[in-house]
Amino acid sequence: MKNPDAIVIGAGVVGACSALSLVNAGLKVLVIDRGAVASGTTGAGEGNILVSDKEPSPELTLALRSRDAWFELNTDIGGGFELEAKGGVVISRSQSGIANLKKLSAQQASCGIKVVELDAKGIREIEPHISNSVEYAVLYPQDAQCQPMLAAAQIMRAVRKRGGAFIQGENVESINTKSGKVIGLSTDKATYQSPIIVNATGTWAGAIAELAGSYLPIMPRRGFILVTAPAPKIVHHKVYDADYVANVASSDADLQSSAVVEGTESGTILIGASRERVGFQSDLDVAVLRQLARQAISLFPILSNIPLLRAYRGFRPYAPDHLPVIGEDANVLGLWHAAGHEGAGIGLAPATGELIAAQITERKTFMDPTPFSPKRFKQESNVAI
Amino acid sequence: MHNVVIVGGGPAGLSAALAAAAAGAPVLLIDSNPRLGGQYWRMPSDDVGQQGEQHFDLETGLILINAVKARKEIEVLSGAQIWSATHKDGVNTLRVIQNGAEKIINTKNLILCTGAYDRTLPFPGWDTPGVMTPGGVQSLLKGHGVLAGKKVVVAGSGPFLLPVAAGVVKAGGEVVELLEANNSARWLLSPFVMLENVGKLKEAFYYVKTISQVKVRARFASAVIAAHKNSEGNLESVDVATIRGNFKIKKVRNVKCDVAAVGWGFTADTSLAGALGCKQIVAKDGGVVVSADGNQQSSIPGVFVAGEITGIGGAELSMAEGVIAGINAAKFVGCKVEVLKAHRKRRAKRQRFADALIKSYPIKDGWISWLNDQTVICRCEEVSVGNLKYAINELGATDSRTAKLLTRCGMGLCQGRVCGRSVVDLVASELKISPTDIDRFSAANRPIILPIPLGVLAAGE
Repeated sequence: MKNPDAIVIGAGVVGACSALSLVNAGLKVLVIDRGAVASGTTGAGEGNILVSDKEPSPELTLALRSRDAWFELNTDIGGGFELEAKGGVVISRSQSGIANLKKLSAQQASCGIKVVELDAKGIREIEPHISNSVEYAVLYPQDAQCQPMLAAAQIMRAVRKRGGAFIQGENVESINTKSGKVIGLSTDKATYQSPIIVNATGTWAGAIAELAGSYLPIMPRRGFILVTAPAPKIVHHKVYDADYVANVASSDADLQSSAVVEGTESGTILIGASRERVGFQSDLDVAVLRQLARQAISLFPILSNIPLLRAYRGFRPYAPDHLPVIGEDANVLGLWHAAGHEGAGIGLAPATGELIAAQITERKTFMDPTPFSPKRFKQESNVAI
Repeated sequence: MHNVVIVGGGPAGLSAALAAAAAGAPVLLIDSNPRLGGQYWRMPSDDVGQQGEQHFDLETGLILINAVKARKEIEVLSGAQIWSATHKDGVNTLRVIQNGAEKIINTKNLILCTGAYDRTLPFPGWDTPGVMTPGGVQSLLKGHGVLAGKKVVVAGSGPFLLPVAAGVVKAGGEVVELLEANNSARWLLSPFVMLENVGKLKEAFYYVKTISQVKVRARFASAVIAAHKNSEGNLESVDVATIRGNFKIKKVRNVKCDVAAVGWGFTADTSLAGALGCKQIVAKDGGVVVSADGNQQSSIPGVFVAGEITGIGGAELSMAEGVIAGINAAKFVGCKVEVLKAHRKRRAKRQRFADALIKSYPIKDGWISWLNDQTVICRCEEVSVGNLKYAINELGATDSRTAKLLTRCGMGLCQGRVCGRSVVDLVASELKISPTDIDRFSAANRPIILPIPLGVLAAGE
């Protein structure tokens, strides 16, 4: 593609959605990934599309729009990525935890999230195998799931069908600027001209900002997921402990984990979720796997007999304030960031793409994008003009 | 003195255990089977009687097994499976499940003799009940005295087809066809190697004699390219083709049978070595094996490797390597012992034979032309050739790892042990590129070596 209007770096789900929104807005878009489609954090996720784990905040507004955008997208591009509104069930087993969950769900309800309180009997009607110790839960019917790699790949397919171009296996080595404005980029193989670059490289977004002489504090937060052998339908929703919400918001470097258990269309059961700040260390940590197994069994004792088949790890890209970064760079004009979604990147991707495309094409945004602006990290720039 | 820990109780593991013990090292031998002997000398799992007729060289096996049992320096952990292994700061941690409980073994010195399993190639109908691997047919015979069917087609490539066909005949079955995809004349390429490995020739003649007594003749340049099921869903017949040197089909006929034992040599089981981080390489036949130096040491000091995981070469090469690995591991833990020149010479001789074998029985890409879009590739997850092509041509997969993640191919119960290698070849063929080593390593490695019940995982420390 000659002289694209915009180049998106990164073909994870956020890059794919940004590219699709830009293509839909009529731009000529080139997507470049150093690896294959969804070969980073997207390929290591569960495919969560959640509203239940968000406290009332700008992120919740983003999540609500994004959840609907996923279903619109599903229709628009013809599906093929196992999108399912399976619903989330959040449980708590302590008095204080239940009180907090009641409070949170009431706040969420006032923001437009559908919540259904469940007593001991109600829980068992929808999750018959749940532990006897669970007596209170909240059902979030809007929570959904997709197969994230397929989602990214199907969206990239649509991008190409609608005139976009996709180059895999080229590593961006420099962001070329002139008088503080983006003019293009160079990879290990070629140089491309474009006035707009969208940085959708997730955990590696900070490095791309640095190439442009700017600054973006995005760091990795490691997580493991256990995958069981295919089993008869045991877990019907995404069921998780309310502690998860606290862990997501935590800034602690040590291991945190809370039970997140869900059945999938293929019969396997996914078990999460651990969070650790250990850089890009990728070895299999058996202690973490054991803890995840214990927590899952405490929710569903029947899982004890189900074999663990695989485990994989990924690195969630997070910013210090746990909000995604969506907007134009603080120092370099034409460099846009769409990154730092932590563990919510799949869920938030379509709305992120909409926000990015609307801002780039100077159209009306569905919400005020200011809270996500990279300019909130401005003071730490070292850009040379 | 620390134990020498050995994983695998086949020809390599038994030889390594005896060599290390003879040098004075205490040995812990971990074996996944209930009885020692490995696949090669698989012993009946219960007392169904002696299966001596199923083995060419049972004497050697029994001598080794009995010697291992008799040595008090050797402790044997049978029926023990390793589900996970990690290497950190010079210590190897093996997480072993035996009788439903987990044991943790930490050791600085280790000999891996984890062997190999049958290599399969997909073809239309290969998921029909009745289509088996030669290894599967043989282990039913050796382990349980059970003949998988009455009318058996034995097909594929490699010398292993001979003992399997002979085993079927000995057990009273009918071998309706014995099909070798390659041309026999290839054997004549290295007469020197044949002469110095007369023992192997004798073994081959033993099987040929058994087979020819019932007038079964091997057909060369022939292969099973499709299987058909009857109304009950079981195997009814196979399509047999004469094939060219590149494995493309020339002419097809139909053959009735109730079992087809189809195998294409072996794939080394390198999962354990891979989990520890031992360097792997791609062998000439495209299979992933563990890299070993002249002392049978892997890239991790103190971790030795012997047998099929260093390259497919048969029981005798495995034994020769096992002895050298055992001696060096004993030396590693402080025993005063050296590998002899004779040990190295024996290994070199067997290695030349193994190299000649690989040359004689190449698997050519033409097998891909036997498939159609409906052909199942991954039996666990029911992924077809068409699904893979869609992932490549529509979803933009440019390597086998991505194709796998987009289709779940190789992500089921067997974790790609059956289809992983074929998928790498297929994806590369569809993309018109050569598979990279990274593709091959990715298909051969799995951090969770074997499935473990979540309850057992949770109970561990």
